[in-house]
Amino acid sequence: MVPLENYLVLSAVMFSLGVYGVLARRNAVLILMSVELMLNAVSLNFVAFAAYLDPDKVLGAIFAVFIITVAAAEVGLALAIVIRLFRNRATSNVDEAASMKW
Amino acid sequence: MATEVLWWIFAAAIVGASAGVVFSRSVLHSAIFLIGSMAGVGAMYVFLTVEFLALVQFLIYGGAVTVLILLALMLTRSDPTGRPEPVNGPQLPFALLVGISLITILVAVALDTAWGDSGEGPANIAIETVSERMFSDFGVPFVLSSVLLLVALIGAIILARQEEGE
Repeated sequence: MVPLENYLVLSAVMFSLGVYGVLARRNAVLILMSVELMLNAVSLNFVAFAAYLDPDKVLGAIFAVFIITVAAAEVGLALAIVIRLFRNRATSNVDEAASMKW
Repeated sequence: MATEVLWWIFAAAIVGASAGVVFSRSVLHSAIFLIGSMAGVGAMYVFLTVEFLALVQFLIYGGAVTVLILLALMLTRSDPTGRPEPVNGPQLPFALLVGISLITILVAVALDTAWGDSGEGPANIAIETVSERMFSDFGVPFVLSSVLLLVALIGAIILARQEEGE
């Protein structure tokens, strides 16, 4: 049997890689992909905790379904914003879209 | 024993693919690595005996989300012929610092805490139980998430459509 700590360390690695990607990348789509990594790490954590610690064992799966739903909505909206940005500015780099930066 | 070996293979695949997503020089390679990473997490759900969630993961992330991301990448190629732009910003050392400190803290917390694990591991989670709880206790969030999806759909159409005079 695989102990719970293995899942926790795995999702910690995934989440940290996602944070690094969000901070380091310039392209908005790449940032979005890193956010997806972070969301996946979190839902893996939810399911692992529920399977190992919760006597109910079902809540983790339900939480993960809701995370996936919100992530799908978020990806659709964010990519629409990226396409709109590209149409207006001919770039999808977030550091070039700085007209609202003070 | 065989389960553990398989688990380590899939865990290594997930870590490798996730590192590929954030360290790859080419955006298309990142998207391909993302498919691998999502599929690996789906395999992890199988290890945790939530096969329904694994199917959802393969379908939505492996299918829909990555196709959407690949389409957006291809629609926003700014310089398809010229020299490749740098994919990372000047804040790269800071991002490395934050990533490394976060991974240290999270791994230390995960290993040092006594989780009170009963030691029996994941039991089989029947899909009927999930659906019963989903439609009884979580009925209101379920309906709200459908409203969220509808709003996101309409919003994405309005944002991405070609306006007159453009």
